[in-house]
Amino acid sequence: MTESELFREYRETRDKALRNRIAEKYLYIAAVIAKKFVGRGVEYDDLYQVASLALVRGIDRFDERKGLQFSTFITPTITGEIKNYFRDRSRLVHLPRRVSELRALARRTAEEMLSESGKKPTASELAARLHVSEEELLHAEEAGSVVSLDAPVEGAESEMSYYDAIPAAEDMYERFETKEAVLAAVGELSETEREMVRLRFGQELSQAETAKRMGVSQMYISRMERKILEKLRKSLKEGSLE
Amino acid sequence: MNARMELCFPLGSEMMTTVRLTTGGMCALAGLDLDTSEDCKVCVTESLLLLLHRGFREARVVFSEENGLRVAVKGEGERKEAQESAEDDISLALLGALAGEVAEEKREGVLVALSFRFESK
Repeated sequence: MTESELFREYRETRDKALRNRIAEKYLYIAAVIAKKFVGRGVEYDDLYQVASLALVRGIDRFDERKGLQFSTFITPTITGEIKNYFRDRSRLVHLPRRVSELRALARRTAEEMLSESGKKPTASELAARLHVSEEELLHAEEAGSVVSLDAPVEGAESEMSYYDAIPAAEDMYERFETKEAVLAAVGELSETEREMVRLRFGQELSQAETAKRMGVSQMYISRMERKILEKLRKSLKEGSLE
Repeated sequence: MNARMELCFPLGSEMMTTVRLTTGGMCALAGLDLDTSEDCKVCVTESLLLLLHRGFREARVVFSEENGLRVAVKGEGERKEAQESAEDDISLALLGALAGEVAEEKREGVLVALSFRFESK
């Protein structure tokens, strides 16, 4: 089947098995591009994962009728995702992309308006120029103010830090119960599935390394992981309703 | 100052560190940020790889500061046996994705030079 026939069939059927076949056929592109970005402080496995996800999303968006080769279409998509990943990682506090972009745009526009009129624009003038609501603009500005967890809480009578004020996410009893529930749910998995959980979540190996140890493809591990998490979720949900 | 630098060298993996370091230095001189500088290094490396696959064994890289950095990568000397790779399409698409204004020069249907530009922000 030619590339064009393969994508036409997928566009018409949206068959997941076919999408997986396409993904496996073109996964080498994700590997090739991920390798080009090694050495910028991110592990190859992470880059490969970002690139693979971009590849799968790209398969859904590709329209073979436009006459482009899939490799030509997907390379900028994967590259863009990897660059976004680098950019997002570079911030101590990860802001949503739209918020970061609006903050940067607001700063540039405010400078332009200052040089045009000689006075700093108000929030409403700036919002009008950017075609966003004043609230949205202020939210974006506010999002950039990083506060130390050790800083004292404003208005607190004692010297309480933000860290002290954050409630514990769970108490020890809850933690114990959760552990028991997870162990019971894992016990219901098949031997192969348990082995994957042990390697991925016990030894914290990457998908690629887990695949290597189990003698299967990374795509297989990725699919199995999704299936297992779904099973565990279902099992834990049913357990909590009992 | 509009800096300009030319490098002429045998196309071999042992030269890549020197080329990448020079590229990084020229990017800094042209006022490119670190991310853009890394992108520029990838583009230079990919261009050299494309020329190598077309049988060139020597290359010339010309860096010129022009509101950012313009880079021209040319194959030099006699061409040996070409070994085009399936990954060449990916390299070309990657250049297009990372750099603005990518231009290819072909002679008798063979790619002999590439140029691209990175703007300083």
